[in-house]
Amino acid sequence: MVPMAEQRIAKSVKAFVTLPLQVPPQQSFQKETTHYLYICQNAPKVPTQDTPRELFLVNIPIDTTESHIKSIFANRLGGARVESVAFEGARTGKGITAPVAPVQKQQGRKRKRAQTGEGEGEGTVADEEVGLLPETWDRELHGSGSTAIATFVDRANAELAMKETRKAAKGDRAVRWPSEADLKTTAPPSLGIPRYLAHHRLRHPSHAELQQSVDGYMAAFAAQEAHRAQLLARQRQEPDADGFITVTRGGRNGPAREEETRAREEELKRRERNRVKDDFYRFQTRERKKEEAKDLVREFEEDRRKVEELRRRRGKVRPE
Amino acid sequence: MAPPASKRRKTTHLDSGQESDGASFASFGGSDDAADEVETDGEEQELVSDDGMDSGLGNLSEEQSEDGDDGEEDAVPDNDKSGLEAQHSKQMQQKKADRPHSRSNASTIDAGSSAYTAGTFKSNIFKLQVDELLEQIRPRQGQREKQAEETLHVLKKCIEQLPARGALPVDQAERKLLSSKIAIPFPDPRPPRDARYKLEYAKPPSINVVGSHVLKTSSRKRDALEVDMLVQMPSQILQEKDFMNYRYFYKRAYYLACLAEGLKTSKVTSQYRVQYELLHGDQLKPVISVSPKSDEQNKDAKPARRWKIFIVPAVAPDAFPADKLLPGRNCVRSQSEDAQDPTPFYNASLRADMLLAPYLKLLHGAATSCAAYRDACLLGSMWLRQRDLDSSITKGGFGNFEWGALIALMLQGGGAGGKPILSPGYSSYQLLKAALQMLATRDLSKHALVIGDDSKSAALTLVSHPAIWDATRSHNVLYKVSAWSWQILRQEAVSTLSMLGDQLFDGFNTAFITNSSGPLYRYDHIAEIVLPAKANKGDLLKMLYDVLRRGLGDRVRLVNLIWSPTPAWSLGSSVPSSQATSSVKVGMVVNPDTVNRTVDLGPPAQEKAEAASFRKFWGELAELRRFKDGSILESIVWDTRGGASILQQIVQALLLRHFGEVSANTLKFAGDEYVNMLRHRDNKEPFQALQEAYKQLESDIRSLDDLPLTIRQIMPADAQLRNASLTPPALPKQSPEPANITLQFEGSARWPDDLVAIQRTKIAFLLKIGESLSDANDSITSRIGLENEQADTLNQAFLDVIYDSGVAFRLRIHHDREQTLLERQLKDKSVDPKSKELAAVGLAMFKRDYVRTPAHTQAVARLCNKYPALSGAMRLTKKWFASHLLANHFAEEVVELMTLRTFTQPWPYQTPSSATVGFLRTLRWLSKWDWRSDPLIVDLSGSCELKQQDARGIQTRFEAWRKLDPAMNRVCLFVASNVDPEGSTYTDGKPAKVVAGRATALAKAACDEAESKGFDLEPTALFSSPLEDFDIVLHLNPQTVGGAQGRKQKPVFKNLELATLDDTSTIGFEPAASFVEELERTYGHAVLFFHGSKERSVVTGLWSPQTAPRSWKVNLAYSSIAMEGKGGEDVQAVANKQAMLSEMARLGGELVKTIQVNR
Repeated sequence: MVPMAEQRIAKSVKAFVTLPLQVPPQQSFQKETTHYLYICQNAPKVPTQDTPRELFLVNIPIDTTESHIKSIFANRLGGARVESVAFEGARTGKGITAPVAPVQKQQGRKRKRAQTGEGEGEGTVADEEVGLLPETWDRELHGSGSTAIATFVDRANAELAMKETRKAAKGDRAVRWPSEADLKTTAPPSLGIPRYLAHHRLRHPSHAELQQSVDGYMAAFAAQEAHRAQLLARQRQEPDADGFITVTRGGRNGPAREEETRAREEELKRRERNRVKDDFYRFQTRERKKEEAKDLVREFEEDRRKVEELRRRRGKVRPE
Repeated sequence: MAPPASKRRKTTHLDSGQESDGASFASFGGSDDAADEVETDGEEQELVSDDGMDSGLGNLSEEQSEDGDDGEEDAVPDNDKSGLEAQHSKQMQQKKADRPHSRSNASTIDAGSSAYTAGTFKSNIFKLQVDELLEQIRPRQGQREKQAEETLHVLKKCIEQLPARGALPVDQAERKLLSSKIAIPFPDPRPPRDARYKLEYAKPPSINVVGSHVLKTSSRKRDALEVDMLVQMPSQILQEKDFMNYRYFYKRAYYLACLAEGLKTSKVTSQYRVQYELLHGDQLKPVISVSPKSDEQNKDAKPARRWKIFIVPAVAPDAFPADKLLPGRNCVRSQSEDAQDPTPFYNASLRADMLLAPYLKLLHGAATSCAAYRDACLLGSMWLRQRDLDSSITKGGFGNFEWGALIALMLQGGGAGGKPILSPGYSSYQLLKAALQMLATRDLSKHALVIGDDSKSAALTLVSHPAIWDATRSHNVLYKVSAWSWQILRQEAVSTLSMLGDQLFDGFNTAFITNSSGPLYRYDHIAEIVLPAKANKGDLLKMLYDVLRRGLGDRVRLVNLIWSPTPAWSLGSSVPSSQATSSVKVGMVVNPDTVNRTVDLGPPAQEKAEAASFRKFWGELAELRRFKDGSILESIVWDTRGGASILQQIVQALLLRHFGEVSANTLKFAGDEYVNMLRHRDNKEPFQALQEAYKQLESDIRSLDDLPLTIRQIMPADAQLRNASLTPPALPKQSPEPANITLQFEGSARWPDDLVAIQRTKIAFLLKIGESLSDANDSITSRIGLENEQADTLNQAFLDVIYDSGVAFRLRIHHDREQTLLERQLKDKSVDPKSKELAAVGLAMFKRDYVRTPAHTQAVARLCNKYPALSGAMRLTKKWFASHLLANHFAEEVVELMTLRTFTQPWPYQTPSSATVGFLRTLRWLSKWDWRSDPLIVDLSGSCELKQQDARGIQTRFEAWRKLDPAMNRVCLFVASNVDPEGSTYTDGKPAKVVAGRATALAKAACDEAESKGFDLEPTALFSSPLEDFDIVLHLNPQTVGGAQGRKQKPVFKNLELATLDDTSTIGFEPAASFVEELERTYGHAVLFFHGSKERSVVTGLWSPQTAPRSWKVNLAYSSIAMEGKGGEDVQAVANKQAMLSEMARLGGELVKTIQVNR
């Protein structure tokens, strides 16, 4: 993109450094373009022990993969070594973690957190998920303008990468977006039709694989339900510190009872209403008639208002 | 005639008509004053318009002394002269000043009372709108009226000063007039040169203004004000036998020519435009038309300036005996034939000239006795105008006059025992409805409506012609209505009546506001036929109609002949020959059930006479065939393989047989082009094949006995299963698109009570069903596919069931506990907003996929059986949306409902009988749909299951949406039906306002095109829109767009193991669709994408206004460039469009051929 003459591209914005990426022309779009990546030291609200060796990347290209980031830093920006990359909005797991032990502190289902910086440092050990459904894409896409966090092997590498980035930005040295050839063995699966074909293949997994996943999930689910029921049962029996017993769902009443009671209540109300018929007393008839007349007037007023509104909207009635 | 005074007083407060009369009376008086100053002629008041109609009529009755009581009170202003006149007009002006007050007062009384007078109007809203319309169209004294009246004075003065001319033989008379460059407009055939009678001119005994202008029953919204000026020919110039052999018409033509010459010598022709014209297209009756000169600066004059005065020569009502002119009599003798055919048209045309004044009196009587009469006439004139019906023969022969006469006559008699059908106390709406009822329910061409003593009406039965026989005046009011016009008129009346009967639908707009005359919307097929040049055009048309009607039989419901009227011509030339315009358009409305029948059966061979007639009619096409049931019949078998439709073949054959080669070869036939653009045309066979396969699948699944739960129901939920998909299903050599179906098990307590677990359980069920199906039936391949990867509470999997025959189904399990769980989640306050949002999405999806769509599918499939043209119309409409790249914005169901509206609420037309008109009318409606303030509500039951209360509920919901979301960011189109009262099921979020606006604009453009081109409309023109409208255009590789082409690509991707995949594995593989979906997900905030599924292999986009430069921030949802701000401003973020395009190119790979950047 050729910037306008009087405006220059900002070398940095807020805490971010602008890193231009040179993208080679494509077969269907014969133009060399420049993409702008904004990089800064990661500074989350709740820092973790990994925070010092992380960089925050903004506006990554939609088809970025971990190997792209690794390649850029390793080959173009002073050879800083990236350990892993966590993308914004990456899919969280869809499995279930079976309760490992009854004494576990967190009750209920616990999801594997995304591999973001905050997730790692808290020291909670992610339980292994079971019953995950198979992946259907061999290469994920990211929304346009989204972010990622690159974790370097150590703090020195992260600092080196930041320094190199600044240098590149200052010197207007555009970094080339790595092509498949550049990535060699770590090249991600290709885009375009092959990717859609692969997706088509992946979304129709073999029955055996699916069966296994479902069985695993259901087994874990059953175990979890049993565990929860057990916990609830215990809660019902044990008074807490103040001597109160917590009322919990479940117990003797099945889940279907709730709706049933409501239906019965309605029925009762209806019967009550029907006991005295609507036209038993004369005042009832009189009142009904009055109501009807009032309704007519109201309807008329409403219609008139509607016509007024029509007129306001369309102007006068004008035959074509 | 005139009612007792008390009656009159009673009616005045009901209607403001009386006041307006007074008011315009006053203004008439005003103009009169002005005229009086110029003219000192004492006989001025003979001109009716001077004193308004009352005095004019008084005048009439004075002369004829037939009607005493009317004359008595009305004659007053005539007899006293200018002194009193001035006083009178002052009084009137006083009244005029009072008028606004009294008017508004009257209308409030009127409106207030209507709340309680239910029944006299359809509904309050209808009544209020009618009142407003009447206010708009009631005639008033304006600029053009003033001008026209001034001219009337001039003309009258001029005519009165003309000297009498002595009797002359025909050719002398003609020569004499020719010397002053005036031609005598003799009707065809012209009089013989050696005729023994002589032509003569004498001063007219009276000159009157007649017609709707005087009665104030013509709407002021017409293009031109038309005033009929009656010049009565004196009786002494006529002879007793003049009604025979055109003699009256020759004399009339001469009289007219003399008037023309008089106008010319008195220089009137230099001030105005004076021409000959045919009165109502009746070849026998030329008139002089006087209109303002259209000089250069006046070319685009306002309609207010346009007016036209017709000078109509006529005779006294007693000029000829009425008995001689009965419809059964022959009045045109020819020497050769002995048997004299009756000449009803000729007779009635002559009779009409005698009856101009009596009818004026009749109508005026009705107007005074019935308060609502004028309003009914105004409404009627509006109704007729919107249907392009007119008194002129080319436009049906039923116009304002006939309408007024019909109501006036029905006020006098026609009921059982000669009692009036209507009572003068009826409201204008009731009068209108009664008149329509008369036209709709009674076939007047078989049983004439006779009003008055019916001793003479026996003559009517001789000619099968629509008739309203006015026995008092011995005249058929419908004499100009031809057999085909009668059909049209009747049909219009029928559809208007059923429309007014519909409680859900406010018929006001379609009855009076929308113009429904466009032939493209009215007729399924239009043929343009050049008829051989022949003397009598009327006979030729009759013959054409009869031939087509007989030949097409029950294939068509309606045949109408349309031809252009003879234009006005100059005074110096004779009547333009009608042969110049011998091209006739034939509009046909087909019967969709029988139009494509391949065999026409004739009479059996034994019935000699009938068989001979059949052979004579069809010529060589008729064949004697023996049929399976043993009968031997004359028959015709039509060819179905050729390109031309059967209808076209028949018309062609009939023309060749009866009108010669020229007509047959020049035939232009339109109406099939649209359907031909569809794959497999509007054939239903592929859909039926799929339906059968579906039934097979249902029985296959139900016969599985090893399922853990019993099946409650299996429902279709796909456009292919309701005959509505653009591409017909299961074409050979094309991989099928799986048709969605849902399966519901009987309730069980063993389902888990957790959304995620339910989804997994569903997978387990699907695995089981797939396995069992494949085991039970060798021809079935089944496969599980995953979906909704991003959220595990949504449906996770479906089962594709593929038969070896090439049909595929996609099965999902419907479990109603999901809805309860989702609703509970929505209500739960402890749930985080993100999950709540997801639950809302899930609930909407659940309702759409498992509740609404199956119900919709069933309803539409049923309607497809009811309306044969529906399937084609829906597919054409979808094609239109796809061609304009709107397919990814409008859900299929929305498009279907739009088309269905055309079928279930067809007004002002009948239910479309071909896909083409169904499509075109849908487009027209779409171009007019104000979706901002009107919901679309369709009753899919076909039997009025949608009650008024439900409709009101839907309306309330619509209003709630508009209040909640006035900017229409979420729900823009509100589309509800009786199976989907929610209205936002298919339109939540999509289409956006800008897209809906574009659809409306495109439809408008298409309709404009259709209206301007008319018959010559190029069908493909409706289906193309320029790609330049978009900012970016991604041209896709055409081979990759359809799923079918995946197979052709196989060798290219051998390395990807595709070769090992068999055919069934590519089912459902649509890379282009996936690509567009991903583009929308990735760039949804920056670009609005348009895609037409398989119809056009392009994806286009518009940059969203959100991508305009703004201050930089981290969470921009698009790729950006950081620009230094000017003068120390914040750093600006500019959309990096080039980089995004490059990304799109990378993402698409070989899928994208080129990217075109327009802006």
